[in-house]
Amino acid sequence: MKYHILDKKNLDSFIKSLARRMKVVGPVKKSGKNYVFKEVKTADEMSLKYIPTILPPKKYLMPEREKILDLKFESDGIKEEAFIENEKIAIFGVHTCDLSGIQCLNIVFNDKPVDKNFLMRKENVFIVGLECNSYCDEYASCGLVNSYMPNGGFDLFFTDLGDKFIINVNTQDGEELVESLKLPPATPKEMSELDKLRDEKRKIFKNEINVDPHKIPQMFDKVYESKLWEEVGNKCLSCGNCTNVCPTCYCFDVDEKISLDMSSSERIRSWDSCQFETFAKVAGGENFRKERGLRQRHRVYRKFKFPQDKYNRFFCTGCGRCSRTCMAGINLKDILVKVAEESKI
Amino acid sequence: MAKETNKPKIAFFDFACCEGCQLQVANLGETLVDLLGAVDLVEFREVMSEKWDKDYDVVFIEGSIGDHHAEERLKKIRERAKVLVAYGSCAALGGVNGMKNGFNIDEIRKYVYGDKYSYFDSTPTKAVDQVVKVDYYIYGCPVYLPEVVEVIKCILRGVQYSVPDKPVCAECKLNENGCLYDKGVVCLGPWTKAGCNSWCPNNGNICYGCRGLVSNPAKNAANDIIQKYNINDKIKDLGQDLMKKKLEMYNKAKEVINEPKK
Amino acid sequence: MSIKTENKLEVKESNWVYRKGKITATRMMTNTEKWFEIELSDGELGHEPGQFVQVEIFGVGEAPISICSSPTKKGRFELTVRNTGKVTEQIHRLSQGSDIYIRGPFGRPFPVKQMFGSDILFVAGGLGIAPLRSLINYVMDNRRDFGKVDILLGCKNPKEMLFSEDIEKWSKRMDINFACTVDRGDPDWKGNVGLITTLIPGVTLNTEQTYAVVVGPPVMYKFVIAELLKKNLSEKRIVLSLERHMKCGMGKCGHCQIDSPKNYYCCKDGPIFMYDEVKDSKKL
Repeated sequence: MKYHILDKKNLDSFIKSLARRMKVVGPVKKSGKNYVFKEVKTADEMSLKYIPTILPPKKYLMPEREKILDLKFESDGIKEEAFIENEKIAIFGVHTCDLSGIQCLNIVFNDKPVDKNFLMRKENVFIVGLECNSYCDEYASCGLVNSYMPNGGFDLFFTDLGDKFIINVNTQDGEELVESLKLPPATPKEMSELDKLRDEKRKIFKNEINVDPHKIPQMFDKVYESKLWEEVGNKCLSCGNCTNVCPTCYCFDVDEKISLDMSSSERIRSWDSCQFETFAKVAGGENFRKERGLRQRHRVYRKFKFPQDKYNRFFCTGCGRCSRTCMAGINLKDILVKVAEESKI
Repeated sequence: MAKETNKPKIAFFDFACCEGCQLQVANLGETLVDLLGAVDLVEFREVMSEKWDKDYDVVFIEGSIGDHHAEERLKKIRERAKVLVAYGSCAALGGVNGMKNGFNIDEIRKYVYGDKYSYFDSTPTKAVDQVVKVDYYIYGCPVYLPEVVEVIKCILRGVQYSVPDKPVCAECKLNENGCLYDKGVVCLGPWTKAGCNSWCPNNGNICYGCRGLVSNPAKNAANDIIQKYNINDKIKDLGQDLMKKKLEMYNKAKEVINEPKK
Repeated sequence: MSIKTENKLEVKESNWVYRKGKITATRMMTNTEKWFEIELSDGELGHEPGQFVQVEIFGVGEAPISICSSPTKKGRFELTVRNTGKVTEQIHRLSQGSDIYIRGPFGRPFPVKQMFGSDILFVAGGLGIAPLRSLINYVMDNRRDFGKVDILLGCKNPKEMLFSEDIEKWSKRMDINFACTVDRGDPDWKGNVGLITTLIPGVTLNTEQTYAVVVGPPVMYKFVIAELLKKNLSEKRIVLSLERHMKCGMGKCGHCQIDSPKNYYCCKDGPIFMYDEVKDSKKL
């Protein structure tokens, strides 16, 4: 593992030189407590002390609307073209929760048949992580799911050490960038500062709900028929906010946009949500998840049960976005506490 | 303009409305040119004086139905139309004209027309589908042009159009707008049909519910929302009542009168 | 398929491209069901009984349709489409000679090899006969590989009876037992009247060596499965084909996930399931 040092006053020249190579996006303040990832040209456009952005960086790997097929209607039949419109992009300042989210998507889209669109976009993304030295706010549960420390998934990883950043280099691409900028290697003293910060972090980031994460899959075996889901469902607006903002939700819809002269058409994949009324409805009219409670249960099981069975990991990154954004105040941590209570494990 | 071709014959008619939705057609820009290449516009009072005496392939009805004469006129148009589109919130929902339905009809007539009110006919506001069968719905006050274009494409190919049945929030979140409730104001996004790409919130405005309620609106949510957000105290006391009143601005007509005509 | 601009990258062997075919024959089977025979330009469909394809109508969308012919029928395959939504409405407009575009075949097929040497009880309700026919005809064409075969069919009324020619053939065969019933008869109807469950008590089952293959609407599953369990048939010997909102066919988009504590995508882990796998789901 190689570590380098970037003086904070040189962050701007770092961003600018990155921006000369590729489009750079970073966390930018939008309004109030709202932040978004968007294109930046300089360091001062960004807010590096940010709480999780409205949408996670998955929007760059799996766009909200993405053309998957171009169709042209010609006299001898239909001509298809499959391509992605994509450019080299650097995502700067990705928190560990969102790094974990991208890893989850990577797992799913590598399942056969692989999702080629995602994998091609992934190749074109340069990821710069950014460490959280303390909690963003009370909605986070990165302690519970153990996502508050860096665990791969980045090219470079920045940690704030006061007047400088210590940069962990994880890939050859990252190495080349750091070399070209002639960033000095970290000294043993700076390395021990990083160790100290990590020790401090272990004291700050605690299991937020006192539920043993290893027992969570077992707990979910017991609460499938619980009344709890109906209670959650009674609050739910079915607006899909929780899934839209989730870094590991990847359900999608496919629709088609035909040109006005009917000579061509585009097949478009767009984000969908299991919370929408029509999500599990079949053409004949049967709706297999008609009640809101069943849909909320489905969402939570997709974070804590199904991926455990299949990939031995949670698909919750602890970012807290779903609870933060829910207008009706549905809180994931509260749900987990109730699951633990009811399952009596 | 109204010469004989094979292209579908299209007409626009207005009833009780501000004609703003028809005006939107003029804002189509280049798409309007493409569109006029695909159809024959045979009647459109805002832009032409010609009339058409044969059947229409597609008619766009703007406005709600508020007196006996309007009902009869609408029924006659329906008889001549292969496809009928309820165009804009007044036609599709009753729209703001529906606020009339919250009052005694004679009191309202007196208030508007004075002591000679009996000369002026007025009936409770109806949406178009409360009078005749509607084939396509385009909600919005005004209509959202990208949706209008999509619906027209469906009509031209004889394909059904499904109005999105999810709340405006779904689109608002994808546009990464900060939630308006964060600012302490009451927004109708959680109950209102999407499909407008959260046009109003994108511009800092609340959702007024102009596209009507989703098919299964969350009934209990208002109190939960008030509890979570720091909505100012005056509004807090009104609570659900305030949200209901706001919803009535566009949705009153649908709440009173019967089911759509099949 | 060249790269036109710097930012435009070709997706090689995209999962979303279509296979082209021609419709070689069609027939209206009822007021709402139309039958199609299709020949693909790239050869055999290469399916197994119980699988489905996505049929694409350009500019409108796709609909998942189960394949109703057996792979033992070579060169062409068959679909039966119920007109029930905006895509299927358009599929109905296709006629003999039309081009048709599909993706697939998709999904886990019937466990045919597992069933070799066993008795088979087929139970089909309504449109359920379509996917089941792919297996019934497979069994007919490989009759010696199976034990006793019973076929029970049910539908709402005689006018909705699908595949009457097949039914005619099956009812005349001496090597199978065939029975059918309608919920409500009409003056011309000479057969059984009553729900399909009424036919089950009359079947003799050797529970140790029988597979019951049941395909129909959710409400039928509930009652038929109850009858079969009453006869002591094991949950592992009841085979179902489930209907869900299948969109991508690749186990990704999430629409068809079964409402169950187990993680099943109907398009990939199904549509064929053993009853014990999905019994936790409230609505089959």
